[in-house]
Amino acid sequence: MKNYKLLIPIVAFLLVSIFLYKGLYSDPTNIENANLAKPFPEFQLADLMDENRLYSKADLLGEYTLINVWGTWCVTCRVELPFMTQLRQQGVKIVGVYYDNAAEAAFGELDVRQTRREVTEMLAQLGNPFQFNIYDEKRDLSLDLGVTGAPESFLIDDKGTIIAHRRGAIDHRVWQNEFAPLLPNNHGSNLSEQQK
Amino acid sequence: MNKSIITLISLGLTFISCFVYAVEESYPFDDVQQQKIFGELVEELRCPKCQNQNIADSNAMVAIDLKNKTYELVKQGQSKDQVIDFMVQRYGQFVHYDPPINMVTIWLWLVPIAIALILVVFVLKKGRREKLGSEVDANSLDQAQAIIDKLESKGKS
Repeated sequence: MKNYKLLIPIVAFLLVSIFLYKGLYSDPTNIENANLAKPFPEFQLADLMDENRLYSKADLLGEYTLINVWGTWCVTCRVELPFMTQLRQQGVKIVGVYYDNAAEAAFGELDVRQTRREVTEMLAQLGNPFQFNIYDEKRDLSLDLGVTGAPESFLIDDKGTIIAHRRGAIDHRVWQNEFAPLLPNNHGSNLSEQQK
Repeated sequence: MNKSIITLISLGLTFISCFVYAVEESYPFDDVQQQKIFGELVEELRCPKCQNQNIADSNAMVAIDLKNKTYELVKQGQSKDQVIDFMVQRYGQFVHYDPPINMVTIWLWLVPIAIALILVVFVLKKGRREKLGSEVDANSLDQAQAIIDKLESKGKS
């Protein structure tokens, strides 16, 4: 009886310790995207390279697709381009959503021609994983997606439901653990560690 | 000479900062009620990138976008709750500094109350037990008195 009473504070202390310990190493920025398991939002936006070519949600359906929100101004996006290019070679459909820099946009019109030059240059240098790039000029699509910055990636299934989300770069480990298992044919799972 | 240059520079800087501030506040409203709603919203909505700031305070890209969107929606005549719903749908409860009470958040209120109740019960019980324990029966008192008497008489002799 006495021993049992003694256990109460010890157990309580342990529980509180475990709770606080977990808090110590938890990542406060790791918040689940609110759009997960919901349909991809509707949109109507032009191609980054050709303002006359319009895309809508229908262009993303029919196949599992990785949507990558990125920009040339974003350093982490550079890091993931080579790996994603490998994914494309493995048969993964990747579509870019070009996230323009609001800080620059705040000081007047962005010159889309300069952006195109930068994009062409960067993709030539680091690899081009994208089938096409949607130009999210006003960042409305990104806002609908709950994007907080670049890079962010969404995996959608053939019916356009968002089934995975990643804030930050996708590398070999992230792809293997979080994305590849969700694909019907497990694309990219045979990429070797050295290749990245 | 030197002093006047410094004065000029600091004066110039003062005017530049005035200008920057003015740009930040450039969300004009015709309707005072809408202006009030907008002011409340940018204070209450949280920047998803820089986590401990509201979108009024933050200059992160996403905070600017949220501010512009809030402005647009309020201008359209949407109510405060409608704008909050719009943002929560996209960015989750995280984006609002005043989360609703539900199955997950109710514990934040219940657990402290429960702990306080347990403590009150514990203290009351303990107090009663000590009161009981302090009552010494007459027999022991007699015995103690006898020992004291004995020691005292020893000390005197």
